[in-house]
Amino acid sequence: MTRQIIFALTLLITLGVFYFTIVRIVRFFRFTRPAFPVRDFGKRFSLMMKVAFGQSRIFRKPILGLFHALVFWGFCIILFGSIEMVIDGLSGTERALRFLGPVYDFIIASGDIFAVLVAISIIVFLARRLFFRVRRFEGVEMKSKSHIDANISLTLILLLMISLLTMNTGYVGYNHSEGREIYGIFPVSSILAGMMQGFSVRDFLMMHEISWWTHILLIFVFANYLPYSKHFHVFMSVPNVFLSRLDPLGKLENMESITREVRLMMDPGTAYAPAADTSPGRFGVKDAEDVTWKNYFDSLSCTECGRCTEVCPANITGKKLSPRKIMMDLRARMKEKGPGMVREGRGFDDGRSLLGNYVSEEELWACTTCNACARECPININHPSLIVDMRRYLVLEEASAPGELKSMFSYIENNGAPWQYPADDRLNWTRDLKFRVPVLSELAGRGEKPEYLFWVGCAGAFDDRYRKVVRAFAEILNHIGVSYAVLGKEETCTGDPAKRAGNELLFQMQAFQVIDLLQKYGVRKIITTCPHCFNIFKNEYPGLGGDFETISHVSFLNDRLRDGSLRLSGSSLKDVRITYHDPCYLGRANEIYSEPRALLKAVTGDLAEMKSHGSFALCCGAGGAQMFKEAEKGDQEIFIRRTADALETGAEIIATACPFCMTMLTDGLKYKNREEEVRNMDIAELIAGSL
Amino acid sequence: MKILVCISNVPDTTTKIKFTGDNKFLDTTGIQWVINPWDELSLTRALELKDDPKSGVKSVTVLHVGGAGSEPTIRKALAIGADDAVRVNAEPSDAYFVAGQIAEIVNREKYDIILCGIESSDYNGSEVGGMTAEFLDIPSFSSVSAIMIEGGAPVLTREIDGGKEIIATECPFVAVVQKGIAKEPRIASMRGIMSARSKQIRVFEPVQVEALTEIDAFEKPQPRAACKFVDPENPAELIDLLQNEAKVI
Repeated sequence: MTRQIIFALTLLITLGVFYFTIVRIVRFFRFTRPAFPVRDFGKRFSLMMKVAFGQSRIFRKPILGLFHALVFWGFCIILFGSIEMVIDGLSGTERALRFLGPVYDFIIASGDIFAVLVAISIIVFLARRLFFRVRRFEGVEMKSKSHIDANISLTLILLLMISLLTMNTGYVGYNHSEGREIYGIFPVSSILAGMMQGFSVRDFLMMHEISWWTHILLIFVFANYLPYSKHFHVFMSVPNVFLSRLDPLGKLENMESITREVRLMMDPGTAYAPAADTSPGRFGVKDAEDVTWKNYFDSLSCTECGRCTEVCPANITGKKLSPRKIMMDLRARMKEKGPGMVREGRGFDDGRSLLGNYVSEEELWACTTCNACARECPININHPSLIVDMRRYLVLEEASAPGELKSMFSYIENNGAPWQYPADDRLNWTRDLKFRVPVLSELAGRGEKPEYLFWVGCAGAFDDRYRKVVRAFAEILNHIGVSYAVLGKEETCTGDPAKRAGNELLFQMQAFQVIDLLQKYGVRKIITTCPHCFNIFKNEYPGLGGDFETISHVSFLNDRLRDGSLRLSGSSLKDVRITYHDPCYLGRANEIYSEPRALLKAVTGDLAEMKSHGSFALCCGAGGAQMFKEAEKGDQEIFIRRTADALETGAEIIATACPFCMTMLTDGLKYKNREEEVRNMDIAELIAGSL
Repeated sequence: MKILVCISNVPDTTTKIKFTGDNKFLDTTGIQWVINPWDELSLTRALELKDDPKSGVKSVTVLHVGGAGSEPTIRKALAIGADDAVRVNAEPSDAYFVAGQIAEIVNREKYDIILCGIESSDYNGSEVGGMTAEFLDIPSFSSVSAIMIEGGAPVLTREIDGGKEIIATECPFVAVVQKGIAKEPRIASMRGIMSARSKQIRVFEPVQVEALTEIDAFEKPQPRAACKFVDPENPAELIDLLQNEAKVI
């Protein structure tokens, strides 16, 4: 009975401390903003099963992934035994859950084996941290506290496993020597007990008792240590995955507060009316109270594993940005400011802020929004959305952005393109074509309605190199007799570079203008050669009322190839080695990986992959409005690194499917003095050349 | 200290210019109107000065001579941060007329610093600043690339051939500013745009000033001839073209 009272008191203290800690963390959630609604529980459940319990992201590094998965699965199994220990401790029973029979035997046996597997994995992890220099465990954000924290947690887990094994060994040894029945099966501990020939019944009993108490007390200590350490993910990661945003990674949320303002501005009745008295809150994120509950949840779940930072194109080329740091900064800032807000309300001001004192503008402007970090994160943290939210604060509230981006904003505003070219020149690319490119306004004038709108994009209209690509694509459309038209002089920027640079206002002004125009013409289906336009039409326009079926040129061509309407008469490139650079806005943003490859396999028999490709592909460096500005300070340009990856394959042609990637890789080839031998071509050009 | 920034409403710089009425008038159909780029820079500098409490600048007003159609451009200036705006309700017929109108407003409202862009990107007259100063009988400074206010005293930097000239002066004065006055044009913040909706644009009728010039006709430059590419393997063709077509060798 004394034993039960002591146990109950210990448990009560554990729960009390745990409750105190959790309340202190959870209370800060009320200062956060709403995020996407949590619906689609079926989808969420399967995502949780795949990413959390199936450890699918973790296995992107197969060997280390396996060790982690063993620890995770081991924890899940061993948790069963821990619950039983609590029941036993409170009620004085022995192995209370044994009534489950064979299920019990199976779980206990698995736990006994997992204890060894987890211990081995933990030793591997500790060895990596102590004896090897792992780049992703380094960085400005990784203070010695982070390393000590990791080592303490790992040591605690190792001790937990050792105590579990000695407890089981003591149990088996004692019951076996006493001739008592053993509940559960202990494949490892039975062997261990068998090896302990000199142990008396008393020794085994002592061993069991000491281990039992050590194990359960360690669990109590561990549970209360976790919330103060990066290993809080033990609790947070499964719910964080369950609560993930389910949209494609390429989608950035539209700001409703801006939509309201844009509607006021565009309505002649309210355009010059005084601003409403109820001023909307801050636009974008400056400090901890501006983030969404999901951002804060992400920051609490972050394990500091650094997989995000390790794949960040900005970080690996020496720029200041580290996605992991952004998450750690938010967590630290909330911890710093939260108590003040609890005391004095949201208005509490300590003269510091997340943006400025923790995260610098230079870090924010280094992001290419390539989504490599978000794709890599084992628990579905979304870093780019928070980065763009901070850019939004800079642009919308402070009117601050790198000079080149301010110019880009002006160009979009004044002449409807991110470069200084007149809309009157938007059809110049069609000159000298042997056929007429149909223009939507002319067709509409004749009462005709084409099936597809071919959205040329600003690069297709104005960039000398990409004009050749849209010409090639139009040739294919013409060749297979597709019913299509272009907007010509009526086309204007979709607003993508503005949105990704934080200028949500300009984006929405452009978007509403485009949506109105397309609806006027009754456009239903859009094909585009620009992945950035594709992404914005597909993911961001629907929220503003622009529902169109949007198809990227590679998907369109692949569909035509498969249905037989596109027949290649024989390629001259059959023996030419081609490598494919995945544009981020087709690949990670929208999961289009196989279509471009299928097309290339129709052109060449020698498709070589770069060391990082598909969802692992390195960005070209131009996304997220980087195309329109100088790169932030670093030790290398991203495009040079990516060009090196491509050249390593020995390919004669670097194929891609994005105007920005085209510019960057062409520049890369020039930089490497390889533009004579190696060509950079769009898939549309390769297909057009094989008609 | 009050700053007056004079802004012109000009076609976006990428506009394909066309003329109507015997080439006497600009064809304004389909034109996107913007703040004259040099005026945008002077506005930026004026706002920078206002942001600096040491400068003593209390307000920045924008002034435009033009019809009601140019109000969106004035609103843009208000959104960027000007405190208020004045519009003289008249078509800007020539530099002398416009300078006369500006001078009238300055006389009426007493500004300490009057900023004009070095030229407007439409007619490129480069005259309004100097003429305004003459109307007002106050100093004017051309090609100003920097304005500082140190201890209440304005210090201007002028670009001169091969160097810079630094001038200390007293208010009031007209500064005709060129590129360099501000690094890049300021953009409007969301709050700026929202508050611009309700900022006041005061409209004055023009005073009697005779325009001194009349446009006879505009003429577009000859379009550039197409570029000819010559195959590098064929130098004879190049020589032939240079000799017989371009007649340069």
